[in-house]
Amino acid sequence: MVWTARAKQLWRSLFRRGQLEAELDEELRACAELIGGEGLEQVKESVRDEYWGIRLQSLWQDFGQAWRTLWKSPGFAAVALGTLVLGIGANTAIFSVVYAVLLRPLPYDRPEQLALIWSRFEKTGALHAPTSPIAYREIQHRNRLFQDVAAIWVGTGTFTGGAEPEQVKVAFVTPNFLHLLAVRPALGRVFAPDEHFGDRTAVVLSYGLWQRRFGGDPQIVGKGVEMQGANPTVVGVLPQGFQLYFSTESNVAMDAQVFMPFDDYLYERPLTLYYLRLLARMKPGVGTAQAQEDLNGVAAQMRAVYPQFADENMKLSLAPMQQDAVREIRPALLALFAGAGLVLLIACVNVANLLLERASGRRRELALRTALGAGRGRILRQLFLEGLVLCGVGAVLGVGLGWIGVRALLSLRPDYLVQLRNVGLHWPVLGFVAAVTLGSAMLFGLAPAWESTSLNLMETLREGGHSAAPIRRRVSAALIVGEVMLGFVLVIGAGLMIRTLANIRAVRPGFVPEQVLTFQLSLPPLPSHGAVTAWVKDWEAALCALPGVQAVGGTSHLPLGGFANWYSPYRPDGVPENQAAGMIADYRSVTPGYFHAMNTRLVDGRFFNEQDRAGGRLVVVVDELLARRAWPGESAVGKRIEAEHTVPTAYGFEFTTDWSDVVGVVEHVRNHSLSQEVRPEVYVAWEQSPRSPLGFAVRSTGDLMALAPAVRKELARRNPTLAISNVRAMTEYVESARAPASFTALLAAIFAVLALLLAAVGIYGVISYSVSRRSQELGVRMALGASSWDLMRMVQREGLTLMAVGLVLGIAGALAVSRLLGGLLYGVSAVDPLTYMVAFGAIVAATLVGCWRPAARAARANPVDAIRAE
Amino acid sequence: MNKPSEVLQGTLDLMILRTLELRPMHGVGVAERIRQVTNGVFVVKAGSLFPALHRLEGKGWLESQWGQTEEGRRAKLYTLTRAGKAQLAAEKRNFRRVFHAMNQVLEGE
Repeated sequence: MVWTARAKQLWRSLFRRGQLEAELDEELRACAELIGGEGLEQVKESVRDEYWGIRLQSLWQDFGQAWRTLWKSPGFAAVALGTLVLGIGANTAIFSVVYAVLLRPLPYDRPEQLALIWSRFEKTGALHAPTSPIAYREIQHRNRLFQDVAAIWVGTGTFTGGAEPEQVKVAFVTPNFLHLLAVRPALGRVFAPDEHFGDRTAVVLSYGLWQRRFGGDPQIVGKGVEMQGANPTVVGVLPQGFQLYFSTESNVAMDAQVFMPFDDYLYERPLTLYYLRLLARMKPGVGTAQAQEDLNGVAAQMRAVYPQFADENMKLSLAPMQQDAVREIRPALLALFAGAGLVLLIACVNVANLLLERASGRRRELALRTALGAGRGRILRQLFLEGLVLCGVGAVLGVGLGWIGVRALLSLRPDYLVQLRNVGLHWPVLGFVAAVTLGSAMLFGLAPAWESTSLNLMETLREGGHSAAPIRRRVSAALIVGEVMLGFVLVIGAGLMIRTLANIRAVRPGFVPEQVLTFQLSLPPLPSHGAVTAWVKDWEAALCALPGVQAVGGTSHLPLGGFANWYSPYRPDGVPENQAAGMIADYRSVTPGYFHAMNTRLVDGRFFNEQDRAGGRLVVVVDELLARRAWPGESAVGKRIEAEHTVPTAYGFEFTTDWSDVVGVVEHVRNHSLSQEVRPEVYVAWEQSPRSPLGFAVRSTGDLMALAPAVRKELARRNPTLAISNVRAMTEYVESARAPASFTALLAAIFAVLALLLAAVGIYGVISYSVSRRSQELGVRMALGASSWDLMRMVQREGLTLMAVGLVLGIAGALAVSRLLGGLLYGVSAVDPLTYMVAFGAIVAATLVGCWRPAARAARANPVDAIRAE
Repeated sequence: MNKPSEVLQGTLDLMILRTLELRPMHGVGVAERIRQVTNGVFVVKAGSLFPALHRLEGKGWLESQWGQTEEGRRAKLYTLTRAGKAQLAAEKRNFRRVFHAMNQVLEGE
């Protein structure tokens, strides 16, 4: 009964509208005495509002109306749409990245339980240091709030079976590692948490490697594969797309192709060597803070039991895996996100201004509609719908632009933001765009609505719509001031980022990267160190003999190469052991030709030479940073230093500490980051401290990529089971080290240009409107003897006044914001005068451009036209 | 209490239902009746009355048909339905409860 009544009304309002209207008319006419002064149409309108069908229809009509209104003024629509598309597009692109990198949960089972455990040495400032096997064992036994703790270290290995030998990244893991991540293998199984393997006899392959090297062999599980030094059995294949998400600093490559178990072998290595990265799964319901408490207890117990932990005052810190993986890129991304937000804000301000301007041009129209019975709600709705239609179209086009933008970002630097591989227009991104769009529509709708609430019917109709309401002028002036302010902040941000990039490009990394080819090589497993030494000497000589090659050298770690770092304590002669805490250096084992090949400058003494033999006097070369710190004001050459060396063993090498003579000082090499001198450096002679694999640098005058095949041929000739990998020009490493700065600077610059453009459009809109409103006044002034030039100046002054106020606020804003940028800057002060001057100039230029056309129009003001216009 | 007041929000529906309980009436009749009964305290405006009548009809509490007013004019007459009677009873109870509570608050001062 009840719902039939409702259905009947809906039916009538949708399909019997004419009859309904007629009946309503008749009903109300019969009650004319009751209606009196209220107005027949108004009463009708409020009755109509009770009918859902009519509401729906009128909504639809309003949509149509909004659409037509927009098309009636294509110039306005184009400017407003263009503005919106830029704003929404920039935000879609950046938010796609922010979502993929910062927000989307890691693709593991219950990722919120996963956390990394770092050693923390506050004295030396190493806050995210790896742990040692012994610490790992203690943490695993002593913790109470973790389901399990696993360890990983990524090194290299070489596949030898098959046509081409191939060097791959090998993740050495405790057997529980993959199980802890709850990986479901594509084939076979992963290692069982308590499995024992003896000595490296099992592997789990990545999907990509399985497909590429083993042709996707479905029978591969259980087969042995040939690798240098071992012939492990394949126990499983990882699922497609499996990746490790660790921060760059942790040196755990995302794309390890092979997983091998550590097993007992873990505890054969020196127990105190810090190289393990720990991944933990917290028990269900345990929070990060609780887990950290637990770890504090564990660390205290360890310090009580082991003197070395007590001496170093080792602490343990916990970081959620997701948070830790993005620790380095987070600030830059958030800054860019904020930048995109500012651009959108400017875009919104512009569109609001345009709509506002039009709304006041339409005051007569709106007043007329009110007189004809349209309720205030209906008018507000129409204005809101116009905003919505505008935003809707803007959003569709903006998402398109954003998609193109994301593609462009991807092509910029795929390996810097590795998670970018997963960037796309996911639902949350589209949701974000929808929210932004709706928010913008509200914002636009509100401004004109505010205006129309102060609508006074009679006055508006009477005055003929020629003078701008003072309230409206104040609002749009405020909007312009805001725009100038936001624009200025963005230009400052971009300027600082560009200067940072320029500084990073100008920095000398401690070598000359041009014309150097680099590659990695695992040395052949020869029976004695002497044999390996002879092999390396012979190999370097052969490379040197290649056409165009000037110098060849090997190093345990290429600078900026991103392989597991080697850093350890050192102690200059005369410093007592208990005062050496905090003396930590990067160690590099290099062959005599290395400094020549890299063109690293010698500051004092000599480079290594053929005399620095195994078994001879131990020598080191240090960098100027260490020399200055250890022996300020003195020559370092001839001084003695306790440094770490390696000695060959059956399974590779082992670390020892020994007194060594400093024979030379070289310039500091930026091993980790172009913008930071992270640690001083100690170089040991490779023959005295062997390590494998070696990174080789070949300096050549010829084409580097033509050199690579020649190197491969040379290697195949002497040992067909060896393979070179990571064949890259040294400049590539430098380029990718610059990538974060380039990325940030480029995007910041794009945003700044957008902001300037939009601000100019905004200023144009407001000034142009004001000129058209004042055409009469201008004409009168001209008739009274003002020159065109006077009028132009007058109009420009109006724009410049707004700009000046905006600039003052902008400087305050920029000062506040640039302090937040501090960590992203290099070699430039956050209040860099040059940047501020340029930004100032850019804003003035944008204002003048924005004022130009209206001013020119003012100059052409014609007294006769002005008087006729009324 | 000389100045007529606008009908309290929410009580208009109740008053309309109560008025139509007596007999079918057209819009003017309802407004007149309310004014008389309240001695001119409540004045129902057309802009509130007609939307309310149509709304109550939509809820199924009123029915309308064309008929003659007492003066013999053709007009749309509204009748209370069974559902409308039930609703009126419920609203009366509710209003009394609220009114009683309100009184206690005022007396308590």
